[in-house]
Amino acid sequence: MSVERFTYDNKFTKLFMYATILWGFVGMLVGLTAAFDLIFPVLNAGIPWLTFSHIRPLHTNAVIFAFVGNGIFTAVYYATPRLLKTPMYSKTLGAIHFWGWQLIIVAAALTLPLGLTQSKEYAELIWPIDVAVVIIWVIFGINFFMTIVQRRMKHMYVAIWFWIATWITVAVLYIVNNLQLPTSLLHSYPIYAGVQDALVQWWYGHNAVAFFLTTPYLGVMYYFVPKAANRPIYSYKLSIIHFWALIFIYIWAGPHHLLYSALPDWVQALGVVFSIMLIAPSWGGMINGLLTLRGAWDKVRKDPVLKMFVVGVTAYGMSTFEGPMLALKSVNALSHFTDWTIAHVHIGTLGWNGMLTFGMVYWLVPRLFSTKLFSRSLANVHFWLATLGMLFFAIPLYFAGITQSLMWKQFTDAGYLAYPNFLETVTQILPMYAMRAFGGSLYFTGVILFVINIWKTVAAGKFVRYEEDQAPAREIDTHGAKENLQWGWHRKLEGKAVKFSVFAFIAILIGGAVEMIPMFMIKSNVPTIAAVKPYTPLELQGRDIYVSEGCYLCHSQMIRPFRSETERYGEYTKAGEGVYDFPFQYGSKRTGPDLAREGVQSLPNYKPDSWHYNHMLDPQKMNAESIMPPYPWLITRNIDIASTPAKIRAMIKLGVPYPKNYADKAVGDLKVQAHKIAENLRQSGIKVDDNKEIIALIAYLQRLGTDIYKDK
Amino acid sequence: MDKEKNHLQKDEEYEIDTLTNDRLIKGHDYDGIRELDNDLPPWWKWLFYITIAFAIIYSIRLFVFKAPDLIQNDEYQKEMASFNASNAVAKAGKTFEVKLLTDKASLAKGSEIWHKICAACHMADGGGLVGPNMTDKYWIHGNTPRDLYNVVTNGVIAKGMLSYKDQLSDKARMDVVSYILVKLQGTKPAHPKAPQGKKYE
Repeated sequence: MSVERFTYDNKFTKLFMYATILWGFVGMLVGLTAAFDLIFPVLNAGIPWLTFSHIRPLHTNAVIFAFVGNGIFTAVYYATPRLLKTPMYSKTLGAIHFWGWQLIIVAAALTLPLGLTQSKEYAELIWPIDVAVVIIWVIFGINFFMTIVQRRMKHMYVAIWFWIATWITVAVLYIVNNLQLPTSLLHSYPIYAGVQDALVQWWYGHNAVAFFLTTPYLGVMYYFVPKAANRPIYSYKLSIIHFWALIFIYIWAGPHHLLYSALPDWVQALGVVFSIMLIAPSWGGMINGLLTLRGAWDKVRKDPVLKMFVVGVTAYGMSTFEGPMLALKSVNALSHFTDWTIAHVHIGTLGWNGMLTFGMVYWLVPRLFSTKLFSRSLANVHFWLATLGMLFFAIPLYFAGITQSLMWKQFTDAGYLAYPNFLETVTQILPMYAMRAFGGSLYFTGVILFVINIWKTVAAGKFVRYEEDQAPAREIDTHGAKENLQWGWHRKLEGKAVKFSVFAFIAILIGGAVEMIPMFMIKSNVPTIAAVKPYTPLELQGRDIYVSEGCYLCHSQMIRPFRSETERYGEYTKAGEGVYDFPFQYGSKRTGPDLAREGVQSLPNYKPDSWHYNHMLDPQKMNAESIMPPYPWLITRNIDIASTPAKIRAMIKLGVPYPKNYADKAVGDLKVQAHKIAENLRQSGIKVDDNKEIIALIAYLQRLGTDIYKDK
Repeated sequence: MDKEKNHLQKDEEYEIDTLTNDRLIKGHDYDGIRELDNDLPPWWKWLFYITIAFAIIYSIRLFVFKAPDLIQNDEYQKEMASFNASNAVAKAGKTFEVKLLTDKASLAKGSEIWHKICAACHMADGGGLVGPNMTDKYWIHGNTPRDLYNVVTNGVIAKGMLSYKDQLSDKARMDVVSYILVKLQGTKPAHPKAPQGKKYE
């Protein structure tokens, strides 16, 4: 058999690696800013793009899609050619992929702080950027799959399996969750509303964690851990079982983000049971990673790369045990809407994604630049800062989450809420927020050392752009080839990329389909409530402002069926109440109180118009200890009245029963309602014009949750 | 015969990893990465089986037996029913007298409630902003303890004043009313709201 010679091009590995370092730095800095915003609300200095609700999506998108995303591509562009013994398929596609992805990130960084958002978590990017993401993802896919097609290795290694599953699933998730009806170049409504939108979103959101933060990084683990330790993978059999079990089961678990919500019980139950069944498949990955180090533990003690991998993989194991526990309804009743979730997520991201990325880069840079790492001890310091930072970040937030949740649920002996004022439960945990910011600062200090270390190493070395390798051509004919191993059938499948991908595609489609199709096709899942009516044009504009300002990041609109919540917030939220909510605004965190029934006058949360006006302008004037940031620009900015007809037309297209030709009358109705609210404010001595954003927002807030109270 | 042959062929598929004495699978070499032929750890297998068993039992309980503890509205109704029953017992036979309280403990409790709840609209010093000034002699709904108690209890919904009968106990409402009348009346707030209502001497 003739041996063929070929050359790997390290250019895009290097570029993606630089990008992951740059965006990691930026994304974590933004996260740190958000942490400080929560302690010092006035830190936003009255500037929208410094405000927590604007930079939180910037932080999440930056660390997920820019830091981890470029980390994935670094690994894929380095390892795929080497595992398959062929260069990447196309340098042109590589260039489009690299620059396209960075442009998307820049576009995200420009739009999100300005409040241009779809408000679905980790899917906030507005529709033109969504289109760009899909195009670039397809370009990446062509480059990746064509490399597989051209491979010289007969079989694909487990890292490649995980990247195949990643590509397919992310494509499906991203497209389905981002189906939007544009009303302008910068604004759109999702085609789903209320509880259906929530289900699609959390099917996406959960699996963004699964197939963007987990499966591709399992690929990273499967390549870089055995490479760095120079040890064989612990169990091939385990690779097979945990791979298929993981991708099949993961996709079902989304509804655990909506336990005790308006989602029907049966979908919640599927979310629970599949989350529990995820423990073993997830741990399969951890076991295969950690036990690969058997025989190399002496190296682990000395090598910062391996140390980071060990902590990373352990963090993966911890958070994939914690996740299923949080998906038990009784635990979720306590943990949901609290900082427990934030702690849980950061064990995964700071630990698993962060540590694996740092380890990978520390391993790669000396090889890419043909030199030694500038300072091993600096890398060791980074390791300790990152590990301690992670603990200082997470542990206070566990305390914060549990403390606050217990306070929310506490009743006095006489049967009244022990802490009727939500703010009390916030001030109680502020010291823990400060500790979290300290932990984040430690972790970020480590990142600074990382950047310096890599910088110095790069400066001392010389970039090795091309690397020669050789391998025999692939045997094309596999007919009759005997595979006598126990897993022979799977071994055959590993040689058939198309069949393998089709099987993976089927495996990831089933769960979503079983949960979502009945939610859309069977009416009883969203029982109609006659009293629920479409929003008035002014309320609709106010709702879009609520979305744009990111209010959902701190205020839920989902009253759960517990006495402690119905006492505080009113009747629990019903599925039928959200049928005109494009997009849904359930939220996932209560840094402030729930607003689902903010407009109901007979409930404890009700506030008059003038209170809302004063509160948006200067929350600390109303409650000295409040950590809500001021939103003074709502008072000066004008409502985009001209957009109203297009929005109403879009709503009609989506099935909202406005009268025929209502788009033409909407502006008139908007002005009448705005005048009434402004007049009311002026009577309280507030000087305000009819056309300010605050008027629309007040209209929306005063409408919230009122429909089903009208008959009472 | 067949079994023996299989076994022989199987043995040829392996080499031994010297550090762990585990079998390496022949032909599995990806860029230098080898794979071992280790079995699934038994505890891992059992973990997987147990979670699957949990899932099956959980599903049967919900889908077949409609277990009330898995149906959230049933759970909620049960929680409310048990509270209402115990609350009815607790409240039975108790009467409450509306009367100004001047003892230290009551006024301290009243002050606490004032700062936690009322200050959001009436300001911490009682000067008023969204709600009226509580320090002057002008009252919209009367100035007796009974008048104030009624306002706090039932609210003035049209004007934005909430009803607190479901949030604060009778005693707590009386505490805060007493705090207003005993402590806030006659003080000088930083930014007093203009007088509203009728003057009472």
